[in-house]
Amino acid sequence: MYVCLCKGVSDHTIRQAVDDGLSSMRELRQQYGVASQCGCCKQCAKEVLADALQQKQRRFAQESLIDTDVCYA
Amino acid sequence: MLGNQQVLQQLNRVLTHKLTAINQYFLHARMYQNWGLQALNDRIYKASIHEMKYADDIIERILLLEGLPNLQELGKLLIGEAPAEMLALDAKLQRSDIDAIREAMAICEEQQDYVSRDMLNHILDGQEEHVDWLDTQLDLIEQMGVETYLQSKL
Ligand code: FES
Repeated sequence: MYVCLCKGVSDHTIRQAVDDGLSSMRELRQQYGVASQCGCCKQCAKEVLADALQQKQRRFAQESLIDTDVCYA
Repeated sequence: MLGNQQVLQQLNRVLTHKLTAINQYFLHARMYQNWGLQALNDRIYKASIHEMKYADDIIERILLLEGLPNLQELGKLLIGEAPAEMLALDAKLQRSDIDAIREAMAICEEQQDYVSRDMLNHILDGQEEHVDWLDTQLDLIEQMGVETYLQSKL
């Protein structure tokens, strides 16, 4: 879905950006222009960003868990 | 005729919902058309026009009650990137509109503005029908797979 319609930024784009290291609304605004025009998308963008960050963290935790297993095995 | 402030506020709130729906459906309809999905375009284009008629009814009612219809405000559009997602987002929007209309109707009833309530009831009728159609499409997609479903919508 398009999170920011003014700048044509979708939730996929935001998730990809988070995977590439982006982590704040400020960066999202600077790099993609999210919420820089009408501002309608601010709340939605915050939610998608928070969710993407959480998922990334969870994935990271899982990966390090697997690594530890491998180490002990 | 001077209307009740609470009723006017509710009518404006529903108006915002309808103005948002007009735009969301219109853009979705033309995206379908652009992809050659003519049947979906036709259906959703009509839904957009219906929303416009509902908005018109509300605007006229607010003016009659000596209020000012707020055409400035617009909610967040839920625009999808692919047909199945677009239908699901339309259903989501439609559901939140139905909630808003029901709340507005309760306040009209409380304030004894039965004419506004009846107008909203008529709108609600159309909305329930549309959400039912959307749900059916989503069920069909699940049953037949999106590819087959879309072939029937060319
Ligand atoms: S929708 Fe993002 S700034 Fe308008």
